[in-house]
Amino acid sequence: MSDAEPAAPPDFDETMYLQLNPDVAEAVAAGGLVSGRAHYLRYGAREGRRYLPTPGEVREPGVIAVITTRADGSRAPPPPAYWVEAVRMSPGGGVFVTGWIDDATDKLAEAWLSGEDWEVELMTTAFARTRRRDVEQTLGATGAHPYGFWSFVDLGRAMRRHAACRLVLTQASGAGVTLEIGVRSLADSDLRDAVLAWLIECDWSVSAHIGAVAGLTDGAGAQIVAHNRRITAGIVAQPQVERFGPAQGRPKASIIVCLYGRPDYLFLQNALFAGGAGMQDYEFIYVCNSPEFADRLARDMRIGSLVHGIRQTLVLLPANAGFGAANNVGARYANSDRIVACNPDVFPYHADWARRHTEAVETLPAERTALFGVPLYYETGALMHGGMFFQIDTVHLSRPGGLFTQDLVRVQHYGKGAPPDTAAFLRPRPVAAVTGAFISCRRDWFERLGGFSEDYVFGHYEDADLCLRSLGAGMAPWLHDIRLYHLEGAGSTRGRAQEGALLVNRWLFASRWAASIRAGLHGIEPTHALLAEPETAPARAARRKRR
Amino acid sequence: MKVLILSPGHPDLVAGEGPSVAWSLFEGLRARAGVQAVLLASVDRSLPALFKPGAHITAFDARPDEYVFLSHDVDPWWHRNGEPLLVEAYAEFLTLIQPDVVHAHHFATFGLELLTLTRRVLPHCRIVFTLHDFLAICAADGRMIRTMDGSPCDRASPVRCHQCFPSIPPEQFFLRAAHMRAHLSAVDVFTLPAVAMCGAYLRWGLPAEKLVHVANGQQPPAGAGAPPAKRKLRNRFGFFGQLVDAKGVWLLLRAVELLRADGFSAFSLEINGDNLRYASDTRREEVERFIAAEEARPRGDRIVSFNGSYHRALIAEPMARVDWCVVPSVRWENSPVFIPEAFLFGRPVIAADVGGQAELVAHERDGLLFRFADARSLADTLRRAATEPGLWDRLAAGIAPPVTREAMVEGYLALYGAK
Repeated sequence: MSDAEPAAPPDFDETMYLQLNPDVAEAVAAGGLVSGRAHYLRYGAREGRRYLPTPGEVREPGVIAVITTRADGSRAPPPPAYWVEAVRMSPGGGVFVTGWIDDATDKLAEAWLSGEDWEVELMTTAFARTRRRDVEQTLGATGAHPYGFWSFVDLGRAMRRHAACRLVLTQASGAGVTLEIGVRSLADSDLRDAVLAWLIECDWSVSAHIGAVAGLTDGAGAQIVAHNRRITAGIVAQPQVERFGPAQGRPKASIIVCLYGRPDYLFLQNALFAGGAGMQDYEFIYVCNSPEFADRLARDMRIGSLVHGIRQTLVLLPANAGFGAANNVGARYANSDRIVACNPDVFPYHADWARRHTEAVETLPAERTALFGVPLYYETGALMHGGMFFQIDTVHLSRPGGLFTQDLVRVQHYGKGAPPDTAAFLRPRPVAAVTGAFISCRRDWFERLGGFSEDYVFGHYEDADLCLRSLGAGMAPWLHDIRLYHLEGAGSTRGRAQEGALLVNRWLFASRWAASIRAGLHGIEPTHALLAEPETAPARAARRKRR
Repeated sequence: MKVLILSPGHPDLVAGEGPSVAWSLFEGLRARAGVQAVLLASVDRSLPALFKPGAHITAFDARPDEYVFLSHDVDPWWHRNGEPLLVEAYAEFLTLIQPDVVHAHHFATFGLELLTLTRRVLPHCRIVFTLHDFLAICAADGRMIRTMDGSPCDRASPVRCHQCFPSIPPEQFFLRAAHMRAHLSAVDVFTLPAVAMCGAYLRWGLPAEKLVHVANGQQPPAGAGAPPAKRKLRNRFGFFGQLVDAKGVWLLLRAVELLRADGFSAFSLEINGDNLRYASDTRREEVERFIAAEEARPRGDRIVSFNGSYHRALIAEPMARVDWCVVPSVRWENSPVFIPEAFLFGRPVIAADVGGQAELVAHERDGLLFRFADARSLADTLRRAATEPGLWDRLAAGIAPPVTREAMVEGYLALYGAK
């Protein structure tokens, strides 16, 4: 509960801040202020001052050439109205461009972006359109045409820092312009976060979920995922590992907890889990996605292992690798044959939770425990999770070039908010998926599935993705009544980049799984053969009697 | 039998019920044959000279069996100790001392996990915990007063506590309670100095079979027991305690203002105590304004005098100058040690009609109760006490001898041996 030191946003731009705030620029020039950044931290943020131009603001890019003749030698029409607000690049090869162009009647045909030794055609790689009300106003246009554009590409290679790059915009008529644009350099993760935040800030005309998904489908989604994979790979390659507590014997399960944003949950889980029967056979592996808490967590774990006598491992990552990658790293350090992915805000409902879990694993048929979840409860006493099912929403978006149609998948929880003992949601049964807040998985099965997907940005949908891969590989996820509390949403903090990541993940999950879900996994009563409930003894007896 | 007493402070260094009772018990046990008592009292950074470099637990002032726990990094919300070296030092201390009984008188300055650690290091020792207040239940410093309207609170819940602290979501209170209970589960027996506290702790979830009432007992201070001097008028009131918000001196001063506004000034009030610096800004300024205004009055018009701090060993003198003792606390007191002390000097007590204060003071028998946190009710009670003929004599005659230290020690010894 401590206040962090104030920090400028990752995409803070000193030059732009001074341009947008002339009074600050004057004060800096006169020596009254150290810098725009210092002003922003001290006053500007509180005063709501901007450090990035809004989409409507026109900043002068340098026009270095205007196309006057076409390739066939004929005279080209004058260039249209256009603008580019920013080109941002990262050392790992990320390039983020935002701007607008009046191509309502003369469609933009090509957009080549190039640097010292590279070039990319944005429209065939990743190019999306957005509404620009400011441009509409300037041009006196209606809202029918999306004048805005943005692109994010991952060039897949390390980049030298650029001072400027070149953008060539060419329309169908041959009209065009070549621009020299100053490049703002950002760290890979900051650039990713800026793109993700952009997804939230864009004026999509329609719901962000529909507009952003359409844009992501046009290439940017795959580029963001690739860029994020590269960042994640760099993070998980450098874990720092500390072990605490007794190391004798082989644990029966390894509880892997990914921590982000709040360090308190380590000592809370230690205290609330450790005293229960059966926990002496378990180990905790905490994977920290918030390096700023590293020292605090190491101290807490040292105390926790001394006080509770539990075996624990702390895996410190240098940055946020996201839920999937963090759990996969944690699994590498597990000393047992069972991986239990557990959210930091999950706590025992019954003190002997571990004993019940061990008993289930050791006595139930193997196919029912290869991968399973448990009922989760709110602290209010109501059920929050009794397995998951999928629903598909088909969304439509009218845009230049035709109607965009896409299936989006909603992942729903059985029994959310239901009375605590609602048998229909608690009975052991195969389900389409279980929440990643708690997944117990046989280690060899977890490894055979390749662990959690690391394609999802930060977190969300990896759980359903893992369950669907398990189903695809022939093993249905199960739900067993070993209850836990889940203080949903309280375990970590969420900013704009995280909100944007939700859009990317929703798009990714839908594009990856919508077709499979339509084929037998759709709805509250999916028809997939592996999800058929085994016949109960009374039902079997009744059937025999009928015969 | 070796008994380790964990005290939230050393009475030579800090005032308060916990340290006072822990000390009284320590002295009482030391006087018993066959019992070795060891005191581990926490001290905080307000006494930096006691913090030896690199040390975490040290002997206190060259006294046998008295140690200090050099407390720091105890989180005021979760009440957990965040310093591994301190926790490790405590484990080592237990190993060295090897007590049969660990009797804790609070967790706030030690950290809750030391209870669980005690059970782990000494699996067979008996852990006794005296609940001197409601801090385990109530995040508002254990006051059990609802912050939004000042009304008394009888139970905590995530939503009710969230109403008191709107910026903290309900699930944090759920976790606070769960974390608290997890560590308190290491305790064998909880003792409560007031029967009135039992209901709240039962509702909070402590098992009934672990709850035992053991009344606080103290050795009488010097001068106690002497009959009060005969006087015609019984219109002198005394306040003894800390000048922090919860102790309600501000409420008492408001009552004085009301009486003065009513035109009644035939009484005096002596304020004995300090630590006004720990009061909230609002209350401190209110008290300071009153003091300044009082001192600006002609000497003959003054009603209230401020005597500063007092020491328990020398309490007979200020006690001799008052007829009544007033306990105006604006919280549920549990078993304030001062009330039996007033009775030891034969002074009837005026207190609020809630909690442990209402349990110790029998209305119309050995004192008077006024409506909780109600300055008008207190003012009316003061006026009645100062003016009603024969009231003081009747109530003074109704005072029964308070619980002795020996009775308290007997009560605890029964628990120590009754594993």
